[in-house]
Amino acid sequence: MIKNPERKLRVGIPRALLYYKFSDLWITFFEQLGAEVIISPETTKKIKDVAVRLAPDEDCYSTKLYFGHVMALKDKVDYLFIPRFGGRKKKYVGCPKFIGLAEVLRSMIPDLPEILMPHYNRGMDKHTRIGLLVRAFRLGKIFRNNPFVRIRAISKAFKAQKLHNKSMIIDEKTLQKWENSEVILNDFPIYTENERQLKIVLVGHSYVLNDPFSSLSIRSLLQGYGVDIITSEQIPRKLIEKQMAKLEYDIYFDFEREILGTIMHFIESKTVDGIIHLLIFSCGPDSIAGEIAARYSKRDPTIPLLQLVFDELTGEAGMRTRIEAFVDMLRRSIDEQVIFLTTQAHI
Amino acid sequence: MPLSFPYVGTFTYVFESIARGMKRDDIIVPDEPTYRTKQLGSQHSSEFVCTPFKMLLGSIIEVIEKGAYEIVATVFVDYCRLGYYSPLYRIILEDLGYDFDLINLDWFNKIEFFTSFKKLACNVNAVQAFQAFRVGWIKNRYIDQIDKTLYSYGAVEIDKGASYKVAHKLYRQVVETEGMKNIRMLPEIIQKTFDDEVEIDTEANPLKVGVVGELYAVVEPAINLDIMRRLNDIGVVTETPITFTRWIDLGQRMNPFKKWHYKACIKHAKPYVRYPLGGKTRESLGAVIEYKEKGWDGVIHLYPFTCMPEIISRSILPQVSREHDMPVLSLVLDEHTGEAGIQTRLEAFVDLLERKRNKGNGF
Repeated sequence: MIKNPERKLRVGIPRALLYYKFSDLWITFFEQLGAEVIISPETTKKIKDVAVRLAPDEDCYSTKLYFGHVMALKDKVDYLFIPRFGGRKKKYVGCPKFIGLAEVLRSMIPDLPEILMPHYNRGMDKHTRIGLLVRAFRLGKIFRNNPFVRIRAISKAFKAQKLHNKSMIIDEKTLQKWENSEVILNDFPIYTENERQLKIVLVGHSYVLNDPFSSLSIRSLLQGYGVDIITSEQIPRKLIEKQMAKLEYDIYFDFEREILGTIMHFIESKTVDGIIHLLIFSCGPDSIAGEIAARYSKRDPTIPLLQLVFDELTGEAGMRTRIEAFVDMLRRSIDEQVIFLTTQAHI
Repeated sequence: MPLSFPYVGTFTYVFESIARGMKRDDIIVPDEPTYRTKQLGSQHSSEFVCTPFKMLLGSIIEVIEKGAYEIVATVFVDYCRLGYYSPLYRIILEDLGYDFDLINLDWFNKIEFFTSFKKLACNVNAVQAFQAFRVGWIKNRYIDQIDKTLYSYGAVEIDKGASYKVAHKLYRQVVETEGMKNIRMLPEIIQKTFDDEVEIDTEANPLKVGVVGELYAVVEPAINLDIMRRLNDIGVVTETPITFTRWIDLGQRMNPFKKWHYKACIKHAKPYVRYPLGGKTRESLGAVIEYKEKGWDGVIHLYPFTCMPEIISRSILPQVSREHDMPVLSLVLDEHTGEAGIQTRLEAFVDLLERKRNKGNGF
């Protein structure tokens, strides 16, 4: 392709999967390099229909949606950014589909624009942190030759990501305040008279929690029912690692640690009214974490756990009924059952 | 304590011989998985966990019901779910209220591997245990040899089913042979028995199809509905490079000159999938090219439902097949797979291959 100095190079990032985790990092990086970042629109029914028709049948729902987002971007951009991401921590891996996604897309849709697919795998291939910087530096060459600009872009991007993580993940003190109903972390729940405000943990992958289409806008639904929520993304890492250390085995899927750790933490601390676990159909890691969570919850059933499985055929009405029934059940159980708050624990 | 293990294709024979070599007379040999095994497994496991998980769980429950206490399992970190099998089995079986002990053989954690191995080999000393293991991997080679001979003789035999009878007899013979001198004689015996007892059509020019894919789906006849035999019955020679040899056979692993089939395949797959992503993704892709170069007619790719790495190879396989002019049939298997569906698709695929070959010959 001929580089046109008049026009900025356009980089497309599909709004799906890892975008919800690393959006700040990627967008800042490309914008600092002088590229125009185009992000696919929020998931709509049209995107879903394209995705389901195109994607392999056995892929999980979220991966299928990714295909739709790529198609939405296809004709608008010069480059698609689909990193081959294997894991960001030692010993822990992501989903294998994250590594293969770029190559699958290239193979299945031949007329795609050029795909930028840097490979980073700290978990299995033992790439170092410096290796990540080197990869980003090399990637930047497409946009700017000046090494100083590239270095500045990388450092700004990582700062942005750090800030994002900091604002997302709360500390233990804030969690305690939330548990005592002193602060509200997400949207204000619509308060109804004569009813106690419920507290529910919403657990799931970030690309399900933050995508209203694939989670059937469960967050606003709960908000409407007067439920105060906290998501598994916000839970302090320390608490999660503490829970993970209790297991005899290693949960080596990075994002599942967050999910399972959150569920186990609240099963143990009993500071919420209920847990809602959002699973995606045929997600490999979810099938394991979901089963472990269900079984641990059965062994210690004080806090009810609702597991909802989403796929492209999930009807909104059915899901609504189940959530409503769950919330009603929690409301009724309050009178009979005391919820223990951890007010005494830290004195 | 009675020792047992889940049923995994013909590898069960290898396992049996290792256990017998360690003088464990209390082993309980698992039965071949049946419909009940599938039912038991899927009843107690999560809805969309991969099929091998369900089948192995069913098999473990069956051996526990037969009276086994120590169950051998494996655990290691990979990209796929295999590493969770054993911890999750423990939780599920505890919930079911069984009395059992899972022994994890974790090859990547050497200390733990040897402590659990010692637990298994309680009747013998270290040298004898190692010797038993060595006999095991050598016998594994001969079991593989029987499989390989069987899959080619089965296609051209005149009396249908004869070679399968011979193979079953030979499997038992391999397990029961003792003494290194006798074991070393086995390859000749295997070849000779096949030559003597199976009458083959020497004029035939059968189609040749390679079978690749996920390990369990390829080696376990209960999940792939005996696909090898089905292919043999319609007169197709099959072969699979997917065996346990590459893990268990330390003798070959230590040999630097050994040419591994899977390494060649991975090299071929580089333009399609560059980096490892678990399972046999790159191997499945590369095997298509490898078989093409060998002059085979087609490749069948097997994988269990929701297997994460193999879905990737399944998505890329059409491109590989197109670019190298090699017919590939991908079959997804789960506990509900119907026999008629598989049979129809295999027959259609074989008809296609036949037509393709005839076209090449100028028909």
